[in-house]
Amino acid sequence: MARVAAVLKALARAVARDQKSVESVVGNNFFFVSALLLRQAGTFIYLIIGLVLLFPLSTDPLRKIPASRLALWPLDARDHRLLRVLSPWINPMTWLLAGLALWAGRGKITLGLWALAAGLVAAGFLLSDLPFAPADSLKRSIPRFPGLLNQLIRKNLREILSTLDIYCALLLSLLTLLFRLLGRPLPKEALLALSILVVLALSSYAQCLFGLDGRAGISRYHLLPLRGWQILAAKDAALLAILILLLLPVAWLAGMAAALVALAFGHGPSVQTVRPQMRWRFSTGSSVMLGILQAMSMGAAGAAVFLSSTWFVLPCAVAWLISLWAAGRAFERGAA
Amino acid sequence: MITCRNLTRRFADFTAVDSLSFEVAPGAICAFLGPNGAGKSTTVKMLTGLLPPTSGTVQVCGLDPAAKPIELKRQIGVLPEDLGLFDDLTVEEHLLLTGAVYGVDRHVTRERADQLLHALSLENGRRTFAASCSHGMRKKTAFAMALLPNPRVLFLDEPFEAIDPVTSKIMREILESVARRGITVFLTSHILSVVEQIATQLIMIGGGRLVWDSPISELPQDLEKHYFEMVETPVVEELEWLGSPRS
Repeated sequence: MARVAAVLKALARAVARDQKSVESVVGNNFFFVSALLLRQAGTFIYLIIGLVLLFPLSTDPLRKIPASRLALWPLDARDHRLLRVLSPWINPMTWLLAGLALWAGRGKITLGLWALAAGLVAAGFLLSDLPFAPADSLKRSIPRFPGLLNQLIRKNLREILSTLDIYCALLLSLLTLLFRLLGRPLPKEALLALSILVVLALSSYAQCLFGLDGRAGISRYHLLPLRGWQILAAKDAALLAILILLLLPVAWLAGMAAALVALAFGHGPSVQTVRPQMRWRFSTGSSVMLGILQAMSMGAAGAAVFLSSTWFVLPCAVAWLISLWAAGRAFERGAA
Repeated sequence: MITCRNLTRRFADFTAVDSLSFEVAPGAICAFLGPNGAGKSTTVKMLTGLLPPTSGTVQVCGLDPAAKPIELKRQIGVLPEDLGLFDDLTVEEHLLLTGAVYGVDRHVTRERADQLLHALSLENGRRTFAASCSHGMRKKTAFAMALLPNPRVLFLDEPFEAIDPVTSKIMREILESVARRGITVFLTSHILSVVEQIATQLIMIGGGRLVWDSPISELPQDLEKHYFEMVETPVVEELEWLGSPRS
């Protein structure tokens, strides 16, 4: 039992350090803006948002120990069984689920909602045992781009594909497309709101553009004979290429104006402090205040383009260019 | 090709590199030796323009790394301490990226990449993402990236660690061959037997200060003995809890 307790203690420490999931929910623009917009909908909608956003937490804690290490430790079959039974309780999601079960028992939530939550947690638990990454073939199918930044843009696209933000935006975009294909009329303003939401889903990523490069990637950037603005431009090109596609079913020009503003706000924090991000999590922005400012400016830019004149794209592009140049210089200075 | 004068780098109260002065001639293979934490990587970072010195001057290929970083980067190849690979690029894509950003023609890049992949036994892993590569494969990829643009100076931070004996031999031969063509090689390593075979110049540092600088031919004794004498003497503690030795 002492051996199992020692392993569980180490696991608990590892899980406690894996706070990125909770942090990412708090620091993600899409989460807090959705929560503000939907506050009239009550507890139910918060529960749904919470469950979806906390989904990445639903991993099997035992996976934190490399299988080869676990096999090397002098643990007998009984120890392994105990670990299998006890380790899920290290995950806060298991306790949350148990709490929800109590609520369901008292009739505070429906059994169906509890089953949905349990299904999400179980799916996360089982998927953590699988190579939960886009198949290599998908990563390899990314098209080539002209110019010397080709490989960097492709790499950046692959990075974006390994965040949850893109799938959130994709879901919004696909649902809108489906709605329009079915011939349902959408109010004009709804298109604007949806295009802003699509960009919003990726706006926290714009604040941590180097978060998935790791220390080694950053050091390589500084060794390449490229200017800082070129490295940032490769980041932006990847994000904008994805957004162009996602914005096609909605108001794409208004969305692109919002995207340029999101990037203009994101360049500075991206190069000032590299905030390491985790794959298969929502991106964590640099601060809630900046997130609010970014989201409001995106909304204003999108609305100006959509409701007044398409020429409003120009000041957005100028702001983006200035920020690209300034942050590029800052990136070069931060070579150490 | 490389000149340092009173090169110093401080981090708050800690002096990582202290008044280092040395010169490395074109075509030399200079081994830069010292224990962990002696200031080797900090020095390499200053020589490659990644870290500005607190004081002192550096010239590499006649350029000041702090003043002309991009121009310098075009002339040097670097295998950094952390290898500097992107998880989301394959081995081959790293080489294609290098060719593109160093201005090497696309066909020439392809040819050189194929040759390097073959020479370093990376052909089978060329389409493997760096995240899935073994440490040895990653090191060989970073080595190939340093060589591909045909630089004037090669900076290699511990190139032989975690490399299989055959590839290590190939890498040594490549380095000797590039040095014969006038390319300067500046490397750090803890594998003294390899250093002894290929280096033409030895620089040793301890606690951030220069303790030895000479051509290898002028060493007064074999390298290992000299290193222990000049830099650090190993102290082996008796681990009595392992039990008494068998006779």
